[in-house]
Amino acid sequence: MSSSGSARTVDARLSGFATLPWRRIILVVLGATIAFVAVAGAYKTLTLPEGERYSGDFWIDQIVNGLGQGAILALIALGYTLVYGILRMINFAHGEVFMAGAFISFFFADAYLKSGFLDSNTYLALLILLVVSIAGSTLVAILLERIAYRPLRNAPRLVPLITAIGASLFIANAFRGFFGPQPYGYPLPTLLQGSIGIFGISVARVQLLVFVTAIVAMVALQLFVNRSRTGRSMRAVAEDSEIASLMGINVDRIVVITFIVGGILAGIAGLLFALTFQQVQFTMGFKPGIAAFTAAVLGGIGSIGGAALGGFVLGVLQAVGPPLLLTGFGIPSPFSLKDAFVFLVLILVLVFRPGGLLGSGEAEKV
Amino acid sequence: MRSAVRVGAIAGAVTIFLAAVGLIGNFTDLNLIGTQVTFAGLMILTPPLLAGYVAITPRVEAGRLIELGRGEALAAGATAGALAGVVFGAFVVFVDTFGVERIREVFINISPELMEYLTQGRTAIVAAAILVAVSVAAGAAGAGYRTLSDPIRRPLGTAVWVTLLFGFLQRIVPIALDQLDVERDWMYSKVTGGLTWVGAVVIAAVAAGASVLKARKGDAIRAAIKGQRDRRADGPRLTPLSFALMLVGLAVVLIAPHVLGSVISEVLGTVMVFALLGLGLNIVVGYAGLLDLGYVFFFTLGAYTLALLTGATLNTFVGSTEPAIAFNLNFYVAIPIVVLVAAGAGVLIGAPVLRLRGDYLALVTLGLGEMIVVLVTSPWLEPLVGGPQGMRDITDAAIGNFGFRDPKHFYYLAFAFVVLALFVSWRLANSRVGRAWTALREDEQVADAMGVSTTAYKLLAFAMGGAIGSVGGALFAVKIGSLTPASFTVLVSIQVLGIVILGGIGSLPGVITGSLVLVGLPGLLREFEEYRLLAYGAALVAVMLLRPAGLIPNVRRSRELKDEDREQDKWASDVAADEHAATPITPLGEGAG
Amino acid sequence: MKRRPWLTVIATVAALALVASACSNDDGGGDSGGGDTETAAADEFGTVEIAEGEPINIGSLLVISGADAALGQDSQNGAVLAADYLDGTFDGTDGQLLGHDIQWSHEDELCTAEGGQAGGTALSADPSIVAVIGTSCSSAALGVADTIMSEKGILLFSPSNTNPALTSEEAHQPFYARTAHNDRIQGAIVAEYALNEQGATKLATIHDESPYTQGLTAAAAVNFEAGDGTVTVQEQINSEDTDFKPLLRSIAEGDPDVLYAPVFVAACSLILKQAAEIMPDVTIMASDGCMSSDTLKNAGDAVDGVFLSSPDISVFQEGEFYSNEFIPAYEEQFGTEPTSVFHAHAFDATNVLFDAIEQVAVENDDGSLSIPRTALRDAVFATSGYEGLTGIITCTELGDCATDVTIGIFEGPNWPVEGGAKPDTPVYSDTKSLDDVL
Repeated sequence: MSSSGSARTVDARLSGFATLPWRRIILVVLGATIAFVAVAGAYKTLTLPEGERYSGDFWIDQIVNGLGQGAILALIALGYTLVYGILRMINFAHGEVFMAGAFISFFFADAYLKSGFLDSNTYLALLILLVVSIAGSTLVAILLERIAYRPLRNAPRLVPLITAIGASLFIANAFRGFFGPQPYGYPLPTLLQGSIGIFGISVARVQLLVFVTAIVAMVALQLFVNRSRTGRSMRAVAEDSEIASLMGINVDRIVVITFIVGGILAGIAGLLFALTFQQVQFTMGFKPGIAAFTAAVLGGIGSIGGAALGGFVLGVLQAVGPPLLLTGFGIPSPFSLKDAFVFLVLILVLVFRPGGLLGSGEAEKV
Repeated sequence: MRSAVRVGAIAGAVTIFLAAVGLIGNFTDLNLIGTQVTFAGLMILTPPLLAGYVAITPRVEAGRLIELGRGEALAAGATAGALAGVVFGAFVVFVDTFGVERIREVFINISPELMEYLTQGRTAIVAAAILVAVSVAAGAAGAGYRTLSDPIRRPLGTAVWVTLLFGFLQRIVPIALDQLDVERDWMYSKVTGGLTWVGAVVIAAVAAGASVLKARKGDAIRAAIKGQRDRRADGPRLTPLSFALMLVGLAVVLIAPHVLGSVISEVLGTVMVFALLGLGLNIVVGYAGLLDLGYVFFFTLGAYTLALLTGATLNTFVGSTEPAIAFNLNFYVAIPIVVLVAAGAGVLIGAPVLRLRGDYLALVTLGLGEMIVVLVTSPWLEPLVGGPQGMRDITDAAIGNFGFRDPKHFYYLAFAFVVLALFVSWRLANSRVGRAWTALREDEQVADAMGVSTTAYKLLAFAMGGAIGSVGGALFAVKIGSLTPASFTVLVSIQVLGIVILGGIGSLPGVITGSLVLVGLPGLLREFEEYRLLAYGAALVAVMLLRPAGLIPNVRRSRELKDEDREQDKWASDVAADEHAATPITPLGEGAG
Repeated sequence: MKRRPWLTVIATVAALALVASACSNDDGGGDSGGGDTETAAADEFGTVEIAEGEPINIGSLLVISGADAALGQDSQNGAVLAADYLDGTFDGTDGQLLGHDIQWSHEDELCTAEGGQAGGTALSADPSIVAVIGTSCSSAALGVADTIMSEKGILLFSPSNTNPALTSEEAHQPFYARTAHNDRIQGAIVAEYALNEQGATKLATIHDESPYTQGLTAAAAVNFEAGDGTVTVQEQINSEDTDFKPLLRSIAEGDPDVLYAPVFVAACSLILKQAAEIMPDVTIMASDGCMSSDTLKNAGDAVDGVFLSSPDISVFQEGEFYSNEFIPAYEEQFGTEPTSVFHAHAFDATNVLFDAIEQVAVENDDGSLSIPRTALRDAVFATSGYEGLTGIITCTELGDCATDVTIGIFEGPNWPVEGGAKPDTPVYSDTKSLDDVL
């Protein structure tokens, strides 16, 4: 009796609390404060005394590097967005799909390096590596869908998300069991070493390859989704899977295709990542996975353009944000706060634009 | 038969997987019973055994349940086993022909030692044939076990798993026996490390006996204990027997650390810290249905806040220094402040993000967990919390001269807080607030329409959950007395989530069971540390696929899940049918279901 | 919930306890000594009694699983080899100490504070443990395992803790000692090399989230500034990151002469490669955490001209014993080359321990052995002038037994690891004692 009495009082207080436009008040205050802090930080950084200040070249280099990073993130982010669009689930294990492609292609790359094939026939070798990486990623994606997700298609939403987390741990640690915990050095063909100048800016050849491949893949995806019959079916399923199935679309098939497309993109990203950093390890999927998912949300999840934009924005943000906003306040080692900074930005974007940069605001649950 | 073939082939693939990740080759010396039953052997036999068991699952055809006769069942089991053996045998032959050293360049765990163990010095073909024969037997045994009648099957099953469990606990049980000054050489061999056959037989006999006893008299005993509880709706009545049993239970719990010794007490201390975290997360995920993937936030916050409030020393490369802000409060003064800080932080970070859709919330909380770890490691906050070097000499929660850093003493401190948290959770679940959370979790729009202030209740859940979690963090700090960022990783979040999920979302006994299984067992089975996360991942997937309501389901919650099933496809129809699949271990069996 | 399997468990356990206690020996001649034996009065923490034919039980508390397993496994191998060598040969069978076998109780400290506590508790709960070789990671020892062991009077003897705090005036625990070099020495020699040999005036450092790397860079920075150099930045990374280019680009803004990044293999290879691209003119230095054949493979050409500091293995190799007997035995028994340098420190620590046991153990008439704990600790701390693989070992009051430490600087790719170019001798080498450095 006493408990229900006190609970009622709590309840009354709570509803009193809730009737005030707290949210709006908090939001406005928060927004203004953050804008002020950000501007102040940037101003202070850029007006540091000569000698302590970053040079102009510094910012250009950071942006170029950030775009290269962003291209890879965008490719992974597309996988999240596609699956989310169709199944409304976060494929938490997508980072591991990406890792699988890169890791499996390593063993081929290493063999090609030793046999000299990598440098004698670079284009062919890269093409084979691409196919292998795609095959590896796609295989893992299909198995994942078949074993871990399909039986849970209509389960409450929490359930597949938890399965995905479990699958992510499982895949990463299975690779660790297969191949060991140590990092492997991924060879870079001589052709891709060094850098070239574009408009006076020096860009690494790998980075150029990453950039071009990513753009081509994204355009191809956009064409596939918009022009092809299967692509149109995918969009129909994303819109409303029940109606789509009534219209004669085989939803199971579309879901598998979605995972395959996501796997292909992850495979491409995996190879590009491996070529950029020339190192693969079983843990390599986790961080890029989270970052790419962040990018997808940042851009507006479910939207292909959004994922691409989110990837690039995030890539640049990671490189430019910490030094620009934190250095001015005298915070030591700004890059050590990079991850915290990125998430802070994400939270702010979600608070002020719940649908992401290109989204419609549907993230808000009302 | 076709299903038997398929199941068998899958089992063979699973065995190959186990071999490839090293679960066979690295454990050929891990004797469980005598020198005959090794962990590696168990890994080879279990897949065909399970295949045999699964192969004869009754299936529904045209509305009729088709069950196999015993002969057919044995044949099906043997077929499944044979397939498993053929697949694995083919793998052995392949590795042998291709050259184990060449394969090892890629798959590091397919080693000469593994092959030596599998072939035992014979040629690969012969070894494969033996593997097939053994698998056939295992498959048939698996199927045969299932066709046994209940009175035989249950004691048999219990005897086997209890004996194996004691075999696994070979590192811990002897220590506990030593501390009790009990002769242990008859039970555990110092030579093999594992159980002796005498010990195994005794344990099996006792387990089987207990199982038989329970089957015969279990209902009567339970009825005697429960008394009139079932008939009368107005709450439990204490019969003298149940009262006595509760006293005995309490006494067991209280003397446990002295009986079990400091090693097991230490593990139990960790279990209880994680149980507190689980109870906190259970409010957020289980009661209010908000997915929080960054629960390490509150754990870290609690630990570091307590350390700063009660006084600690920062480690530096030359020795130590004082934190930039330091208090010297008593633990019992500090803990309410920690709770308030955590609840406040919960509200503060919850306010802007709680209106987001569930998946977004998951990502944001994941980010918050990441952020706090980055912050406590960063050079920026190093003057406050020590950065990578961390801090030490965190003040003990001593009462007078009775310190709590000793694992046996810490047990009591943690126990008190777990009981408190259990009580709070239990009262909350059955209060108006709890019902509001249920409404919120089930259908937010409806709840909103019914006048439940959804945002306020979400905030409340976040604050309450955070508060309990921060106590877990504070106790962790007291327990170890030393904090470094390495203890606070995203894995903590996943582990706590695993506890809540595995035990049963929204179920209090489930949380306790979950912590015992996911924290206690790894704490006792340190040999398998390398494979802990692999097992974790597999367990999360398996629980969601086979038993989504968890090991000890919340009664109301599993009813909800079942209701959903009825409208949907046959997903998780196992929940209803498969109530007996798992065998949770918990000394605290009582609790609000 | 119809079935209650836990009932079975409780019943089983209870029944077992009954059976077990019925079988317990009643003659009271407990052989697992403790505080209540007769000799206990002589020693504050009691005496370990080892009956005739029973082994001497030595614990190890090292990281043998997870990301840092290579570090702890290497030390464990070194310690185990010391027991093997008790009979004067590496033959795979342990020798005897005072007529008793050696038995190892290996625990894992997981390279974390909680791991140190769990493992330390397990070892300290076993009254037959004479002493413990460990820990691998300083964070498992500092304020955790060192305290647990010291409360029980069990010597904790670390082969690889290098954190200065462990043997600092205010933090040292009475039963803690180590044969590993103090980071202050390595940091000082790195700074000295950068200042004097590279002629550097500006130093930048990178450490990761581990206490080890942070301590090293801090020590190097302090000594560099003491030598009138300028430290431009001390940056921190997360060792799981891959893209260090933004960070390196910002470090390049400060125009340092030397970049000191003593991080571990995965991040180290990436930093070497990315730094070679971004700041080709800056001299890169790293430390033993990066010294691995994996780095050589993964970083490729980028290791050329990279200077690594490490305990000078060439000092060991001057002794024929190390290269002609110890290393072949190691490779034969464990099927791998040493994965770090600390096997040698573990071998030395274990041998110092064995010597101390021989000194203080009382051989009783019935063939049993009594080892008083405090006396054992005192004997180890009194070690002076012991010639080990790692050099001369003399313990200080604060437990630093590697007092004169020789640190070598190796120029890539001539690193003393598998796959390194020959000659793998250091380009610079200096011996310092703790009194010489800040």
